Amino acid sequence: ADITLRATANSNENDEDYDGLVVFKNYVEAASNGAIEVELFIGTQLCSNGAECLQGVADGSIDIFMSTSGGVAGLFPYVQVLDLPYLMPDDRTAEKVLSGEFTRKMRQMALEDSGDTIRLMTIGNTGGWRNFANTQKRIETPADLRGMKMRTVVADLPQELVKAMGASPTPIPWPELFTSLQTGVVDGTKNGITDIMGMKFPDAGLQYLTLDGHAYMAALWWMSNQTFQDLPDNLKRVVVDGFYALQQATFASPKRKSIAAYEAFVEGGGDLYVPTPAQKAEFRKAADPVYDWFRANVGRGGEIFDAFAAAVETARSELEAERAAELD
Amino acid sequence: MTPLIAAARLLGAVNGAVLGAGRMLGVLAIAAMVAATLLQVFCRYVLGNALPWPDEAARFCMLWMTGLMAPQAFRAGGFVAIDTFDTLLPGRGVQALQLVFLAISLAVLVIAARIGLSEVTGIGGRFATASLYLPVSWGLDQWYRVPRSWMMASLLVGVWLLILVNIELMLRRVLALLGHEGDLPEIAGAGHGGAE
Amino acid sequence: MTLIWFLPLFLLLLLAGLPVFFGLLAAPGAILWLNGQDRDITLLYRNLYNGMDSFPLMAIPFFMLAGELMNRGGITLRLVEFSQALMGHLRGGLAHVNILSSILFAGLSGSAVADTSALGSMLIPAMEKQGYSRRFAAAVTAASSVIGPIIPPSGIMIIYAYVMGESVAALFLAGIVPGVLVGLGLMAVVRLMAGRHDFPVASRKASWGERGEASLKAFFPLMTPVIILGGILGGVFTPTEAAAVAVAYALVIGLFVLRSLRLRDLPDVFARAGLSSAVVLLLVGAAMSFKTVVSLSHAPEALAALVLGLTENPYLLLLLINLLLFVVGMFLDAGPAIIILGPILGPVFAGMGIDPVHFAIIMCVNLTVGLATPPMGLVLFVAASVSRERVAAISRAILPFLAVEIAVIFLITFVPAICLTIPRLAGFLD
Ligand code: NA
Ligand code: NA
Repeated sequence: ADITLRATANSNENDEDYDGLVVFKNYVEAASNGAIEVELFIGTQLCSNGAECLQGVADGSIDIFMSTSGGVAGLFPYVQVLDLPYLMPDDRTAEKVLSGEFTRKMRQMALEDSGDTIRLMTIGNTGGWRNFANTQKRIETPADLRGMKMRTVVADLPQELVKAMGASPTPIPWPELFTSLQTGVVDGTKNGITDIMGMKFPDAGLQYLTLDGHAYMAALWWMSNQTFQDLPDNLKRVVVDGFYALQQATFASPKRKSIAAYEAFVEGGGDLYVPTPAQKAEFRKAADPVYDWFRANVGRGGEIFDAFAAAVETARSELEAERAAELD
Repeated sequence: MTPLIAAARLLGAVNGAVLGAGRMLGVLAIAAMVAATLLQVFCRYVLGNALPWPDEAARFCMLWMTGLMAPQAFRAGGFVAIDTFDTLLPGRGVQALQLVFLAISLAVLVIAARIGLSEVTGIGGRFATASLYLPVSWGLDQWYRVPRSWMMASLLVGVWLLILVNIELMLRRVLALLGHEGDLPEIAGAGHGGAE
Repeated sequence: MTLIWFLPLFLLLLLAGLPVFFGLLAAPGAILWLNGQDRDITLLYRNLYNGMDSFPLMAIPFFMLAGELMNRGGITLRLVEFSQALMGHLRGGLAHVNILSSILFAGLSGSAVADTSALGSMLIPAMEKQGYSRRFAAAVTAASSVIGPIIPPSGIMIIYAYVMGESVAALFLAGIVPGVLVGLGLMAVVRLMAGRHDFPVASRKASWGERGEASLKAFFPLMTPVIILGGILGGVFTPTEAAAVAVAYALVIGLFVLRSLRLRDLPDVFARAGLSSAVVLLLVGAAMSFKTVVSLSHAPEALAALVLGLTENPYLLLLLINLLLFVVGMFLDAGPAIIILGPILGPVFAGMGIDPVHFAIIMCVNLTVGLATPPMGLVLFVAASVSRERVAAISRAILPFLAVEIAVIFLITFVPAICLTIPRLAGFLD
């Protein structure tokens, strides 16, 4: 191959990110007729956090890197718009939003803020949606969360959300969360179902799960802009199409993987609760302070918030029209 | 020979003073690491209310401790090496071999300094730390979020100090090869350190 | 040139005497430079900076500091007195006391060097006075000090866990039984030799009252491992926080309970701990750099193919690894050896179905025993300087003890349950 693209994701081979990369590699190598080779580095072999990996993307020592929104919030704080609760109702809306103008807007902002070095290629999913889960009792409304110690990562937005719900945010490193749940250092956590089951949290007493879906677990795929711009036009098309295939794969993979995870959760005696529309509205209302906080405190927060809200609105109406046409 | 001896003496005095100050700061840093970590244990498990900043602040101190104290260990010969050959070679041969090694280590350090600078001034340095803020107004109502470059600067400073020490050690070897070993003051010794 | 040539180049530089830190960067850097892989040189050096930026690594300076404080604060003396009350009346009493003290000391300190210098400076003269030969006293001290990094806490296990992404708590738990086994093995040797060479009895048999008094005096130091392990297992704190708690505990005991430590001693104690840990942390950073090039070069895959070409029997392979590690341990300190070999060998054996925690313990025990092995064993040199006996003389006297330690290594290699039962019961393994 003339060109080797070096791709890395700080996860493991059971993860959706890996599924996406395998699809990407396969598509790009075939469609470029062998002109491009994609080398995968899964885990922390090349770099181990957002700062380090994006520095590598910026200077071209890493070509492709996947991050969550939290992982790059230190440089591009506005990507946390994707973590804002209850803005997108479901997968179909989210997928429409992330496939359209909104992603290009965010790409533009990131290129501006990185001196044209870091390019957002696409946004997919990693792990479905975040839900509130705890060891104590069934959560039906925000009032049930009051006073609970909820584990969050060390980042502003999730802590603001937990505070808005009347609970107390507690930063615990991921590897220590199991013991912390077991010993009651924290009462609950906010995670996707595959992570909850993958870490065997029900064994630590995590038996109550409320499907409030407060955050879409977005996966941001970055590429070195220099590497991308150096490609001839025909190979640029191949790479762009490769990221489309990757995005589709990461949209699909968590849906498939979560089925067995939910089954196992319920089989192990877990309580799975789906809030009623009225209860969902209560959650949404309780989260109001978080939106104001985001606009006021996050760099370029107002700009991205407006773009996101508009994209969600457009997606909703387009989907309504599509559904109407299907039903016709 | 005299200018070379004078240069070695001067650099030795500068290094001694700078690293002495670094040692004091390192002692403060290690004390601060312990204090921050204990405070976190207390808040999380006694008060049941964890703080966001101690983990990151302690890491900040650890990196500065390393950057400021490692050069002193290097100067006192505390870097781990297999020294079997030293007993086999004649004295002058050892000095020559060590001069070659010091040339290699200088090359390593110069590259490390170049890339360290980009680590501090580049995209990675612009990342905001997750939880470290400094007040920038007397009323404590405005806070500046510390960038990651303030952390990474510790190791860059450490590499710069290592380069100074490396040059001093090279001067000493050259003078020793020329038979002027006795003209320089001894470097205060350090015991063997290690995780063992 | 194939990237994998950085391994022989590294070996060459290392054997010639280049400090490990510079070798870890110079050898891969040189081959990458020859290949024109500029962007990988950037990657190599960037990981030097980022490899040290880790919360779990903080346990290294903390445990070193705790060990320094305990030693300065006279805690060592109380452990020795306690051991004497228990075992002093046996034939070869002080030799047994030396070993038991090391087992107890191991629960406070993560370092064999600290053990040798702290216990050796006290026990070697005492043993000589009772009629043991100086070389034998130094040999027992050196041989038993390797228990220090096997029983938790352990500096090299923290490093291994960080570099290889294993759980510190699991490694700590896995080290307990092997460490005690080494101690019991050494006591068996003393017992055998005691009859033949008519070793002296140290003291008359202590009454239960005297034993109670010695236990009371040693109570606070002996509680340290209970606090560290209990705290970690009870979910009260993380291993890193446990290390900070150990520092606080040592400070409180030294300053207020035993009053054997003065405030003005502290800056010097802190500086010593800071200096040694800065060197180790720098090495860990360089190891993370080195590991990046190991990944880029696909060295573990190549090595696995080579090794599996020799034999596919995992037990035979473990035997070969024992030999390799033993030879490496003869020339290189345990920390740097773990840093260099972990990333290369770990994946090979994990791929063959050996439990990573088991493999970690095999490596750690093997390499720590190497610390007491001629010609280059670090604790031999420390024991020589503490006792003012020649290294060659200690090297001969230590041979029977080494034989037992090698037997223990084989035992834990081929009976995984010895390491894995405790971490499994505590829920750290499936
Ligand atoms: Na220990
Ligand atoms: Na001993």
